[in-house]
Amino acid sequence: MEENAKLDTLQTLELADGVSIRLRVSGPILRGLAYALDLMIRLVIFIAAVVIISYLDFAVGDKVAQGIYLLIWFALDWFYPIVFEVGKHGATPGKLMLGLRVVQVSGAPITLGQAVIRNFMRFIDSMPFFTYGFGLASCVASQRFQRLGDLAAGTLVIYHRMPKAVQMPTPPPLAAVQVPVALSRDELFALAMFRDRASLWSEARRIEIANQATELTGAEGVTGMNRLLGMAHWTHRQTTHRQ
Amino acid sequence: MNSSDFEQLNHHRWEEFEKLLTHVEKGRDHPDKQLLPKHFREISADLSLAQSRMASSHVIDRLNALVIRAYEQIYQNKRGTLDVVMRFIMIDFPIAVRKDWRLFWLCSVIFWLPFFCMMFSENIDARWVQAALGPEGMASMEQMYGGKEQQIAHLREEFGSNFMMFSFYIYNNVAIDFRIFAGGILAGLGTCFFLAFNGFYLGAAAGYVNHAGNPESFWTFVAGHSSYELLGMIIAGMAGMRIGMAILHPGRLPRVRALVQGAKQALPLIYGAAMLTTLAALVEGFWSAEPHPSMVKYAVGIAGWIGLSAYLICMGRSRKKHAA
Repeated sequence: MEENAKLDTLQTLELADGVSIRLRVSGPILRGLAYALDLMIRLVIFIAAVVIISYLDFAVGDKVAQGIYLLIWFALDWFYPIVFEVGKHGATPGKLMLGLRVVQVSGAPITLGQAVIRNFMRFIDSMPFFTYGFGLASCVASQRFQRLGDLAAGTLVIYHRMPKAVQMPTPPPLAAVQVPVALSRDELFALAMFRDRASLWSEARRIEIANQATELTGAEGVTGMNRLLGMAHWTHRQTTHRQ
Repeated sequence: MNSSDFEQLNHHRWEEFEKLLTHVEKGRDHPDKQLLPKHFREISADLSLAQSRMASSHVIDRLNALVIRAYEQIYQNKRGTLDVVMRFIMIDFPIAVRKDWRLFWLCSVIFWLPFFCMMFSENIDARWVQAALGPEGMASMEQMYGGKEQQIAHLREEFGSNFMMFSFYIYNNVAIDFRIFAGGILAGLGTCFFLAFNGFYLGAAAGYVNHAGNPESFWTFVAGHSSYELLGMIIAGMAGMRIGMAILHPGRLPRVRALVQGAKQALPLIYGAAMLTTLAALVEGFWSAEPHPSMVKYAVGIAGWIGLSAYLICMGRSRKKHAA
């Protein structure tokens, strides 16, 4: 898909149902934070279990207690993420807190097998010496921030709910300026986005962005920006009256 | 019709749909639950329309979010039952192992070659195994297998130590299987390394006990669980190599697609390997150290090898014929 080639965390993806949806892929920093949160949660669970069992020590005996600790740590180490990721939310508690979830590359919830693959592969991703160097390298090299486990399982980590775009009243209506050339669909979309979001930015930033379109407006600086906004108004009117 | 008309006209319907969706997500009942797929198609059509007519971005974002949520609800996976587990043990796992028989022999060689080399090197020069084990390794081998025949039984006399050792074997040995499996993603190099390393170390341990300890106490201890433990490890190696081969030799698929497919094929192997190693931990924890006559222990060990081989060779054959 051509759109996937763009350097953007927003991935367009066509469902079997014929509609295309947009998923926002999560980058390594947030995923690292989620991992740190999960690690803390696991430690807390483990320490709580150790405290509870040490009270029951007299009943089960030292050796049995040690055995139980080992089993609990084994389960937390290998199966904690798997259990949560095939669960209802498709995310470990750490990911859930940060609004992330794991999905198949098709956007559907992941299967048990995929959860097993991506989390067992974590052992290699975390190399060398638990720095997650391999995983990071794979994230950077792959188009959709997939670590090796994600590549093998065919999964993505995405934002669960996209942050709602802040809507601001558009700047005061300007004179509509006719667009001198025919624009493509993507270009029209970019123009509409510029109009919708222009009031979120400072004047300087608006001009900076409008300067990218001097080819269209034929002017730099404030004049160019005003002309671009005018064009956005014009195309908006055109598209809304067309139907 | 402009974008805000479009929104006004359908706003109510979208809100209704979101309500229905929230109900379904929380697992509550809703009279219109059956209609979710129908509404999903309607909303999908709305989204396509909005995208192609460049409706304002908040409409698109809203519909986009609704479609994703509904898609997740509709395409949920039905998950495992007892049937699936039984079918896996009786049919799927042995078939999966037989299907990759080439990898089985490959992994067997990678494990057994260093094992026997190290074990027999003791006859030529004992320093090899001593160097491989290191002073700590040698000390613990002597503590376990250095003295009388049933020395290890005395180490397990304290109440609960069998359970403790069982837990340790789960914690340690099953994790070794998982690491062997994960190593496959480095084009099989990790798998080869861990397999060969384990063969090398275990061979050194066996060689050292033959040389300096009491071989009888060692072999009677390992006999019982050896079949499950070692075949489990080799099958974990097969799972890793399945992934490694997908990277090295993707065939006509793109590498990433071959990798996903290889990983899927490797799943029954790693599940089975974990199952066998868990079984080994049970035997190693609760049987292998018990003070029984040596002949009984050897017999149980041999029975394990024969039984496990028969299981892997014979199970699931008739069903396969029916399916074909």
